[in-house]
Amino acid sequence: MFSRKFWFVLGVLIILSPLFAYAAELVGYSEPLENIAERLGVEENPIYEGILPDYSVPGLDMFSGTLISAVIGTLITMGVTFGVAKAISKDGG
Amino acid sequence: MHIPDGFLDLDIALIFYILTGIVVVISIVKARKELNDKKAPVVGMVAASIFAAQMLNWPIPGGTSAHFVGGALAGIILGPFAGCIAMASVLVIQSLVFADGGITALGANIWNMGVVNVFVGYYTYKLLEKRGIFLASAIAGWIGITFAAIFAGLEIGLSSSFDYSIAVTVPVMGIWHGLLGIVEGFVTAGVVGYIASSRPDILQKTVSG
Repeated sequence: MFSRKFWFVLGVLIILSPLFAYAAELVGYSEPLENIAERLGVEENPIYEGILPDYSVPGLDMFSGTLISAVIGTLITMGVTFGVAKAISKDGG
Repeated sequence: MHIPDGFLDLDIALIFYILTGIVVVISIVKARKELNDKKAPVVGMVAASIFAAQMLNWPIPGGTSAHFVGGALAGIILGPFAGCIAMASVLVIQSLVFADGGITALGANIWNMGVVNVFVGYYTYKLLEKRGIFLASAIAGWIGITFAAIFAGLEIGLSSSFDYSIAVTVPVMGIWHGLLGIVEGFVTAGVVGYIASSRPDILQKTVSG
Protein backbone atom coordinates (compact mmCIF):
# COMPACT_ATOMS: atom_id res chain seq x y z
CA MET A 1 0.00 0.00 0.00
CA PHE A 2 3.02 2.24 0.26
CA SER A 3 4.59 3.87 -2.68
CA ARG A 4 8.05 3.08 -3.89
CA LYS A 5 8.86 6.67 -2.95
CA PHE A 6 8.50 5.85 0.73
CA TRP A 7 10.92 2.94 0.52
CA PHE A 8 13.29 5.07 -1.53
CA VAL A 9 13.37 7.84 1.07
CA LEU A 10 13.79 5.32 3.88
CA GLY A 11 16.66 3.69 1.96
CA VAL A 12 18.35 7.06 1.44
CA LEU A 13 18.14 7.84 5.17
CA ILE A 14 19.69 4.46 5.99
CA ILE A 15 22.48 4.81 3.43
CA LEU A 16 23.28 8.30 4.72
CA SER A 17 23.62 7.12 8.34
CA PRO A 18 27.28 5.92 8.13
CA LEU A 19 28.28 9.16 6.40
CA PHE A 20 26.78 11.20 9.20
CA ALA A 21 28.40 8.96 11.80
CA TYR A 22 31.72 9.50 10.07
CA ALA A 23 31.18 13.27 9.92
CA ALA A 24 30.21 13.40 13.59
CA GLU A 25 33.35 11.47 14.52
CA LEU A 26 35.46 13.76 12.34
CA VAL A 27 34.34 17.04 13.90
CA GLY A 28 33.68 15.58 17.37
CA TYR A 29 30.55 17.63 17.93
CA SER A 30 27.98 16.44 20.42
CA GLU A 31 24.44 17.29 21.43
CA PRO A 32 23.51 20.16 23.80
CA LEU A 33 22.68 17.70 26.60
CA GLU A 34 26.13 16.08 26.34
CA ASN A 35 27.81 19.49 26.15
CA ILE A 36 26.07 20.65 29.34
CA ALA A 37 26.99 17.42 31.10
CA GLU A 38 30.61 17.80 30.08
CA ARG A 39 30.71 21.42 31.17
CA LEU A 40 29.26 20.52 34.56
CA GLY A 41 31.42 17.44 34.90
CA VAL A 42 28.56 14.97 35.03
CA GLU A 43 29.43 11.50 33.87
CA GLU A 44 27.24 8.89 32.29
CA ASN A 45 26.80 5.79 34.32
CA PRO A 46 25.92 3.09 31.83
CA ILE A 47 24.35 0.06 33.46
CA TYR A 48 23.54 -1.66 30.19
CA GLU A 49 25.31 -1.47 26.88
CA GLY A 50 22.63 -2.79 24.57
CA ILE A 51 22.92 -5.34 21.81
CA LEU A 52 24.42 -2.95 19.27
CA PRO A 53 26.02 -0.38 21.59
CA ASP A 54 25.73 3.17 20.25
CA TYR A 55 24.69 1.97 16.79
CA SER A 56 27.79 -0.12 16.24
CA VAL A 57 28.40 -3.80 15.67
CA PRO A 58 31.09 -5.06 18.04
CA GLY A 59 34.14 -6.06 16.01
CA LEU A 60 33.05 -4.27 12.84
CA ASP A 61 34.35 -0.95 11.54
CA MET A 62 32.24 2.14 12.18
CA PHE A 63 31.01 2.44 8.61
CA SER A 64 29.57 -1.06 8.23
CA GLY A 65 28.53 -1.18 11.89
CA THR A 66 26.44 1.96 11.55
CA LEU A 67 24.92 0.80 8.28
CA ILE A 68 23.96 -2.59 9.72
CA SER A 69 22.60 -0.91 12.87
CA ALA A 70 20.49 1.42 10.71
CA VAL A 71 19.05 -1.44 8.65
CA ILE A 72 18.35 -3.66 11.67
CA GLY A 73 17.00 -0.79 13.79
CA THR A 74 14.70 0.50 11.07
CA LEU A 75 13.29 -2.98 10.37
CA ILE A 76 12.84 -3.83 14.07
CA THR A 77 11.14 -0.46 14.67
CA MET A 78 8.82 -0.99 11.72
CA GLY A 79 7.96 -4.56 12.72
CA VAL A 80 7.51 -3.96 16.44
CA THR A 81 5.52 -0.74 16.03
CA PHE A 82 3.28 -2.25 13.36
CA GLY A 83 2.75 -5.29 15.60
CA VAL A 84 1.85 -3.12 18.58
CA ALA A 85 -0.48 -0.91 16.51
CA LYS A 86 -2.13 -3.99 15.02
CA ALA A 87 -2.57 -5.61 18.45
CA ILE A 88 -4.12 -2.40 19.82
CA SER A 89 -6.41 -1.84 16.84
CA LYS A 90 -9.99 -2.99 16.86
CA ASP A 91 -9.33 -5.31 13.92
CA GLY A 92 -6.34 -6.90 15.63
CA GLY A 93 -6.25 -7.60 19.34
CA MET B 1 18.25 14.77 23.81
CA HIS B 2 18.28 11.13 24.97
CA ILE B 3 19.16 11.17 28.67
CA PRO B 4 21.63 8.39 29.57
CA ASP B 5 21.79 6.44 32.83
CA GLY B 6 23.50 8.34 35.61
CA PHE B 7 22.05 11.79 34.88
CA LEU B 8 18.77 11.43 36.75
CA ASP B 9 18.10 10.78 40.41
CA LEU B 10 16.13 7.58 40.77
CA ASP B 11 13.11 9.30 42.33
CA ILE B 12 12.94 11.74 39.40
CA ALA B 13 13.31 8.80 37.00
CA LEU B 14 10.50 6.97 38.80
CA ILE B 15 8.12 9.94 38.71
CA PHE B 16 8.53 10.18 34.94
CA TYR B 17 8.09 6.43 34.53
CA ILE B 18 4.73 6.78 36.29
CA LEU B 19 3.63 9.88 34.36
CA THR B 20 4.66 8.31 31.07
CA GLY B 21 2.95 5.03 31.98
CA ILE B 22 -0.33 6.85 32.60
CA VAL B 23 -0.22 8.72 29.27
CA VAL B 24 0.81 5.61 27.32
CA VAL B 25 -2.09 3.61 28.79
CA ILE B 26 -4.53 6.41 27.94
CA SER B 27 -3.03 6.58 24.44
CA ILE B 28 -3.48 2.84 23.92
CA VAL B 29 -7.13 3.06 24.99
CA LYS B 30 -7.80 6.09 22.77
CA ALA B 31 -5.77 4.83 19.80
CA ARG B 32 -7.73 1.59 19.85
CA LYS B 33 -10.73 3.51 18.51
CA GLU B 34 -8.70 5.08 15.71
CA LEU B 35 -6.49 2.23 14.57
CA ASN B 36 -7.55 -0.36 12.05
CA ASP B 37 -5.93 -2.68 9.52
CA LYS B 38 -5.32 0.25 7.17
CA LYS B 39 -3.78 2.57 9.71
CA ALA B 40 -1.66 0.14 11.72
CA PRO B 41 1.00 -0.18 8.95
CA VAL B 42 1.21 3.64 8.74
CA VAL B 43 2.12 3.75 12.44
CA GLY B 44 4.95 1.28 11.73
CA MET B 45 6.14 3.29 8.72
CA VAL B 46 6.18 6.58 10.61
CA ALA B 47 8.09 5.01 13.52
CA ALA B 48 10.64 3.40 11.16
CA SER B 49 11.20 6.70 9.31
CA ILE B 50 11.67 8.58 12.56
CA PHE B 51 14.15 5.98 13.78
CA ALA B 52 16.17 6.27 10.55
CA ALA B 53 16.00 10.08 10.54
CA GLN B 54 17.19 10.23 14.15
CA MET B 55 20.37 8.39 13.16
CA LEU B 56 21.48 11.41 11.13
CA ASN B 57 23.36 13.68 13.48
CA TRP B 58 23.86 17.05 11.81
CA PRO B 59 26.99 18.92 12.86
CA ILE B 60 26.09 22.55 13.57
CA PRO B 61 28.95 25.05 13.13
CA GLY B 62 30.22 26.00 16.57
CA GLY B 63 30.57 22.57 18.09
CA THR B 64 27.09 21.22 18.54
CA SER B 65 25.25 18.48 16.74
CA ALA B 66 21.57 17.77 16.54
CA HIS B 67 19.27 15.26 15.05
CA PHE B 68 15.65 15.40 14.01
CA VAL B 69 13.37 14.14 16.82
CA GLY B 70 10.02 13.91 15.06
CA GLY B 71 7.52 13.89 17.94
CA ALA B 72 5.41 16.66 16.44
CA LEU B 73 5.56 15.00 13.04
CA ALA B 74 4.30 11.72 14.50
CA GLY B 75 1.46 13.54 16.28
CA ILE B 76 0.39 15.46 13.18
CA ILE B 77 0.42 12.42 10.88
CA LEU B 78 -0.99 9.82 13.28
CA GLY B 79 -2.90 11.87 15.82
CA PRO B 80 -1.51 12.35 19.33
CA PHE B 81 -2.41 8.92 20.73
CA ALA B 82 -1.03 6.73 17.96
CA GLY B 83 1.83 9.26 17.63
CA CYS B 84 2.69 8.76 21.30
CA ILE B 85 2.71 4.99 20.81
CA ALA B 86 4.95 5.27 17.73
CA MET B 87 7.47 7.49 19.54
CA ALA B 88 7.42 5.30 22.67
CA SER B 89 8.17 2.29 20.48
CA VAL B 90 11.14 4.08 18.81
CA LEU B 91 12.54 5.14 22.20
CA VAL B 92 12.17 1.69 23.78
CA ILE B 93 14.04 0.10 20.85
CA GLN B 94 16.74 2.78 20.89
CA SER B 95 17.28 2.19 24.59
CA LEU B 96 17.11 -1.62 24.66
CA VAL B 97 18.89 -2.45 21.42
CA PHE B 98 21.30 0.47 20.99
CA ALA B 99 21.71 1.78 24.56
CA ASP B 100 20.72 5.24 23.22
CA GLY B 101 18.97 6.70 26.24
CA GLY B 102 19.37 5.01 29.62
CA ILE B 103 17.09 2.30 30.96
CA THR B 104 16.49 4.27 34.15
CA ALA B 105 15.85 7.41 32.08
CA LEU B 106 13.49 5.69 29.64
CA GLY B 107 10.37 7.03 31.38
CA ALA B 108 11.75 10.58 31.19
CA ASN B 109 12.90 10.20 27.58
CA ILE B 110 9.48 8.93 26.48
CA TRP B 111 7.88 11.75 28.46
CA ASN B 112 10.00 14.38 26.68
CA MET B 113 10.02 13.08 23.13
CA GLY B 114 6.98 10.79 23.06
CA VAL B 115 4.51 12.70 25.20
CA VAL B 116 5.43 16.42 25.44
CA ASN B 117 6.84 16.67 21.91
CA VAL B 118 3.90 14.76 20.40
CA PHE B 119 1.01 16.40 22.28
CA VAL B 120 2.39 19.96 22.28
CA GLY B 121 3.25 19.55 18.60
CA TYR B 122 -0.15 18.15 17.70
CA TYR B 123 -2.22 20.75 19.55
CA THR B 124 -0.06 23.61 18.27
CA TYR B 125 -0.68 22.31 14.77
CA LYS B 126 -4.43 22.06 15.34
CA LEU B 127 -4.51 25.57 16.78
CA LEU B 128 -2.78 27.06 13.74
CA GLU B 129 -4.07 24.73 11.03
CA LYS B 130 -6.41 27.37 9.60
CA ARG B 131 -3.44 29.62 8.88
CA GLY B 132 -1.97 27.05 6.56
CA ILE B 133 -0.54 23.58 6.87
CA PHE B 134 3.07 24.65 6.29
CA LEU B 135 3.11 27.41 8.90
CA ALA B 136 1.17 25.30 11.41
CA SER B 137 3.45 22.28 11.13
CA ALA B 138 6.65 24.37 11.12
CA ILE B 139 5.67 26.11 14.36
CA ALA B 140 4.42 22.80 15.83
CA GLY B 141 7.77 21.12 15.09
CA TRP B 142 9.67 24.02 16.60
CA ILE B 143 7.54 24.49 19.76
CA GLY B 144 7.27 20.73 20.29
CA ILE B 145 11.01 20.07 20.42
CA THR B 146 11.66 23.21 22.48
CA PHE B 147 9.17 22.09 25.14
CA ALA B 148 10.68 18.60 25.10
CA ALA B 149 14.12 20.12 25.73
CA ILE B 150 12.79 22.32 28.55
CA PHE B 151 11.46 19.18 30.24
CA ALA B 152 14.81 17.42 29.75
CA GLY B 153 16.44 20.48 31.37
CA LEU B 154 13.99 20.28 34.29
CA GLU B 155 14.61 16.58 34.85
CA ILE B 156 18.40 16.85 34.89
CA GLY B 157 18.32 20.15 36.78
CA LEU B 158 16.18 18.65 39.56
CA SER B 159 18.60 15.72 39.85
CA SER B 160 21.46 15.99 42.29
CA SER B 161 24.15 14.73 39.91
CA PHE B 162 23.95 18.12 38.21
CA ASP B 163 25.38 20.63 40.65
CA TYR B 164 23.70 23.44 38.83
CA SER B 165 20.02 23.97 39.33
CA ILE B 166 17.22 24.19 36.83
CA ALA B 167 18.08 27.90 36.56
CA VAL B 168 20.99 26.77 34.38
CA THR B 169 19.84 23.53 32.78
CA VAL B 170 16.40 24.70 31.64
CA PRO B 171 17.54 27.84 29.81
CA VAL B 172 20.55 26.09 28.24
CA MET B 173 18.48 23.17 26.95
CA GLY B 174 15.56 25.42 25.98
CA ILE B 175 17.65 28.01 24.15
CA TRP B 176 19.79 25.46 22.31
CA HIS B 177 16.89 23.37 21.17
CA GLY B 178 14.86 26.50 20.49
CA LEU B 179 17.52 27.40 17.91
CA LEU B 180 18.06 23.87 16.58
CA GLY B 181 14.29 23.41 16.58
CA ILE B 182 13.95 25.80 13.67
CA VAL B 183 15.40 23.04 11.48
CA GLU B 184 13.00 20.55 13.09
CA GLY B 185 10.16 22.91 12.19
CA PHE B 186 11.17 23.16 8.54
CA VAL B 187 11.62 19.39 8.19
CA THR B 188 8.25 18.77 9.88
CA ALA B 189 6.57 21.30 7.58
CA GLY B 190 8.22 19.82 4.49
CA VAL B 191 7.09 16.28 5.29
CA VAL B 192 3.56 17.26 6.37
CA GLY B 193 3.18 19.53 3.32
CA TYR B 194 4.30 16.74 1.02
CA ILE B 195 1.97 14.17 2.57
CA ALA B 196 -0.93 16.63 2.53
CA SER B 197 -0.49 17.17 -1.20
CA SER B 198 0.32 13.60 -2.26
CA ARG B 199 -1.46 11.35 0.26
CA PRO B 200 -3.97 13.47 2.20
CA ASP B 201 -5.79 10.27 3.18
CA ILE B 202 -2.92 9.41 5.53
CA LEU B 203 -3.14 12.59 7.59
CA GLN B 204 -5.09 12.39 10.80
CA LYS B 205 -8.26 14.38 10.21
CA THR B 206 -10.40 14.07 13.30
CA VAL B 207 -9.56 16.27 16.25
CA SER B 208 -9.06 13.81 19.08
CA GLY B 209 -9.26 14.37 22.79
